[in-house]
Amino acid sequence: MSQIGVSPRGAERFWVIVLLLPTLLGLALGAFGSIAATIGISLYQWDLLSPAKWVGFDNYLALPENRNFLKALGNTALFSAIYVPATLSISLIVAVLLNQRLRGVSLFRLIYFIPVVTSPTAVGLVWTWIYSKDKGVLNAIITGFGGDPVHWLGSDMALYSVVIVNVWGAIGEGMIIFLGGLQAIPRDVYEAATIDGANRFQQFLAVTVPMLLPSIFFQAVLSTIHAFQAFDYVYILTQTGNGGSSVPMLVFNIYREGFNYFRMGNASAQSVVLAVIVLGLTLVYSRLNKRWGQQG
Amino acid sequence: MKALLSATAFTALALSGTASFAETNLTYMMWGDPPEIAVWEAIVDEFEAANPDIKVKVEVSDWDSYWDKLRVTTVGGNPPDVFAMDAPLYPDWQSRGSLLDLSPYLAKAPETLDGVYPGPLAAYQLSAGTFGLPRDFQTIVLFYNKAMFDAAGVAYPDESWTLDDLRAAAKKLTIDKDGDGRTDQWGLGTELWDMEPMWGPVVYSYGGAPISEDFKKTTLGDAPAAEAWKFLADFRLNDGSVMSQEDLESYGNDGFLAGVAAMTFSGHWVVPAYSDLGFEWDVAPFPKGPAGRATLVNSAGIVVSASTPNPDAAWKFVQFVISEKGQSKLTELGFAIPVIDKVANSPVFLEQKARGNHQVFLDALAYAHTKPSFRGYEEWSAAVGDTLALVWNGEMSIEDALAEIVPNADAALANNQ
Repeated sequence: MSQIGVSPRGAERFWVIVLLLPTLLGLALGAFGSIAATIGISLYQWDLLSPAKWVGFDNYLALPENRNFLKALGNTALFSAIYVPATLSISLIVAVLLNQRLRGVSLFRLIYFIPVVTSPTAVGLVWTWIYSKDKGVLNAIITGFGGDPVHWLGSDMALYSVVIVNVWGAIGEGMIIFLGGLQAIPRDVYEAATIDGANRFQQFLAVTVPMLLPSIFFQAVLSTIHAFQAFDYVYILTQTGNGGSSVPMLVFNIYREGFNYFRMGNASAQSVVLAVIVLGLTLVYSRLNKRWGQQG
Repeated sequence: MKALLSATAFTALALSGTASFAETNLTYMMWGDPPEIAVWEAIVDEFEAANPDIKVKVEVSDWDSYWDKLRVTTVGGNPPDVFAMDAPLYPDWQSRGSLLDLSPYLAKAPETLDGVYPGPLAAYQLSAGTFGLPRDFQTIVLFYNKAMFDAAGVAYPDESWTLDDLRAAAKKLTIDKDGDGRTDQWGLGTELWDMEPMWGPVVYSYGGAPISEDFKKTTLGDAPAAEAWKFLADFRLNDGSVMSQEDLESYGNDGFLAGVAAMTFSGHWVVPAYSDLGFEWDVAPFPKGPAGRATLVNSAGIVVSASTPNPDAAWKFVQFVISEKGQSKLTELGFAIPVIDKVANSPVFLEQKARGNHQVFLDALAYAHTKPSFRGYEEWSAAVGDTLALVWNGEMSIEDALAEIVPNADAALANNQ
């Protein structure tokens, strides 16, 4: 990638650092500080109240036998495997459709973006009603056409129902990223393709997708991070009595382990594993991006 | 700065004139409903009248935020001096060193425990000491809507009722009023996630137990309990007479209060709300099972923070809450049964303003099992309740669920050893 922006020199460089200092300090203490603390705590047995006890890697070694962790990891992996490709493809299609000179196109862009800025709690409650088995909108439609009601939030379907809500909520964000990428593609490339006789679909595959690859990789990284951190919609739609969830995700499990069951060391070890998974996937994306993303 | 503060404090004292010595400030935190605040403030007023040198601030939160708040303030090193405790969670809090041992105070003032019901008290007496006292308690009984029974021509529940009678009556009381194929009135609407309202008593009344006496092993999958589970699953899934979780949620989690369930299992805590209902209702003992009659008793306790700077004042407040005076005032709330037998057997409880036959709640003590209370209760009950919920929704057979619950629940116990 070519150098973007200016390279400050001399006195300018000094002021750049001074002006960035507040942010850098926040990052160093807030982000890196908590990462270091989490790694540290993961080596202890600590219930927040009594003194912490050093246990080395015991918390990590216990994870393969921790039923709740394994269940949450499985759920999160399956969730991500559906969520990431679905979000990417749907928001790309929406972005392409909304990247035209249409009447009211800004209105449509706004509508697709609304879920991103709406409170997940409020939206989650509306979806709970949509998915409700006996009184839900979706089942009212299905039974209206003579079908059998579906238990959308039952144990067989809940994960998929929840993925749908999360994808729906994330389309707007992907759309904005892709719209930005699409508008950076020069018109003359399309003109050249038209002259060469490529139809719209061929143009999409041969021009749009390759030129958007950096945006796609960027959005893939973001979606993956979001998928592994999924919590709000999932929890609201699947909560059970006393703060449980019928589809426990990793972040939910970490919270519960730490703050409900007082096992901070264990929760921290799970957080570190989560971070390593996301980091690993990000590295893979970045490799793929280097390989294919720079050819356009 | 310190000098300035004490100077201000001194001036304030001098100005107030009446305070001849330093005041002690206590914070008392509890879960509860807004109406409870007024009663607790009345209790505090009486306490402050008797102890002019102590001021108590009452903080009330709803159940969920209460525990979050308590965790945060305790971890942050600024816990309330005195706070409410749920008996099943008490061993957890005690084992983390956050509660003050009251044994030395009790040794000096053994009369504090005069007339305190031994069952609820036992839950707080650990081998390590007594780190709290029961404040009031709850027994589970059967509530029934008289109007619905009259309309359906079903005899009211009484002492002779068995679980089979319950099931038969529930079926008769389940009605599709407008003939649209959807139930409009259910026989029974009760919570099935937690053991307390229904499944715990039923398991006991079949001769089973949810957990071994030493709290080391989950026994709810063992032979006597298996029949209880079969009864519960058939009752919930085959008859259509028991409200589903989704039905309950759409009626504010209380079908009885909403007037769509003819019966419910609950404790005295619903009595104040039910007193305002526009229909006649009454209570009956928990129906008998094959191994006799059973129910659960659970107590709310009052505990003192291990790190309070004023343990003596805190103890005085605890003592007052347990005293005849404090308990009489607390009984006016109508939420619970007083923990002192003298008050419970007095008109203060038996003839209180709130409706209902209060003697039935008291008599239930004779056949009640104490709700299990052990380290890791919260994790154990989640392992049990979350999977049971699948059974109640008809998504998993009870046999498959038990095969999953027992190892999960035992793992939860092992996690907390």
